[in-house]
Amino acid sequence: MRTHGLGVDLTERARRAAEPLGRLAAVSGPFLVLGAVVAGIVFPETPASGQSRTASHSASHSVVARSKLVLSSGSLLFPSADPDTVPEVAATGGALTIQVRATVSAGDPVTLTVVASDDLRSGLDAIPASALHWTGSGPGFAALGTMSAAVPQPVGNWSGSGAWTGLQTYLLTNSWSHPTGTFTTTLLYTLTTP
Amino acid sequence: MDRIKRWPLPAGIAAVLIGLWAGPAEAQGLMGLSLSASSVTFPAADPDTTPVIAAPPLTITFYSLRRNWQITVIASGDLTSGSSSIPISNVSWTATPAPPFQDGVMSSTVAQLVASGNAWVYMTGTIFYSLVNSWTYNVGTYSVTITYTLSAV
Repeated sequence: MRTHGLGVDLTERARRAAEPLGRLAAVSGPFLVLGAVVAGIVFPETPASGQSRTASHSASHSVVARSKLVLSSGSLLFPSADPDTVPEVAATGGALTIQVRATVSAGDPVTLTVVASDDLRSGLDAIPASALHWTGSGPGFAALGTMSAAVPQPVGNWSGSGAWTGLQTYLLTNSWSHPTGTFTTTLLYTLTTP
Repeated sequence: MDRIKRWPLPAGIAAVLIGLWAGPAEAQGLMGLSLSASSVTFPAADPDTTPVIAAPPLTITFYSLRRNWQITVIASGDLTSGSSSIPISNVSWTATPAPPFQDGVMSSTVAQLVASGNAWVYMTGTIFYSLVNSWTYNVGTYSVTITYTLSAV
């Protein structure tokens, strides 16, 4: 061995010197654990500062675009009335409750419009759709409006996500010039989001 | 090697003494904590039909050879998606078994107690997260980091 030089000789000495320690560790591993356990028993009130374990996870939630429009009634009925005493006929059943709900990107517009399918018609007779008008209340709801059969009229405007509830009270302008008959039309509400 | 094999008891006693000597520091190795998942997802849902969104259960496995221990949880912040956020207080949990586990509401400022005990323990608990759903959330993919800490007290 000495013929291989002093360096090798010292390395071998070091390896030989370390060998028993390694074997001690291998053989006595369970005892080291036992020692640590015993330490836990013997020193149960050891100051605990710094003794901790942590584990983390991420939490995620995807919010997708969606919208919903709910009307409290599917029909409005305007009763017959004397134009002199009731120039504006209110719908029976009172105000229409409108619930608008929308999940959109921040700041995106949310709009609600209404348009009549046609004038109020009874056979060949007609009452202009503009005879219908309304007052509105609620956050974002238009305070006033007049029906059109040509151009959708704004009912409400909002910005960003939210849930809004408002009231729309319809009135029909009464007139002696209205022909007799049962007049109907369809009102189409459209909730628009990007 | 042969001498050590021949005399395991003295070697063991020496090791126990070393263990005792190293006890307070070594005790740090006598606690462990792991989670069953690295991510938890709250699925998208209609706020009207699902006002509270449940996430898949999260399992916590831990042990402590320190007698007095506790597990706390804290969030890194609100759930965020770009400039939009969902308050982290909208996240809550129920946990079993109770005790030692307890229910709570998530916070990003104060670590919330999840479980505690005063005896050695090795057990598994289950966390059931809930998120308050709302129409007011902006569209986006929100995320946050939640950290559990097992500590000796």
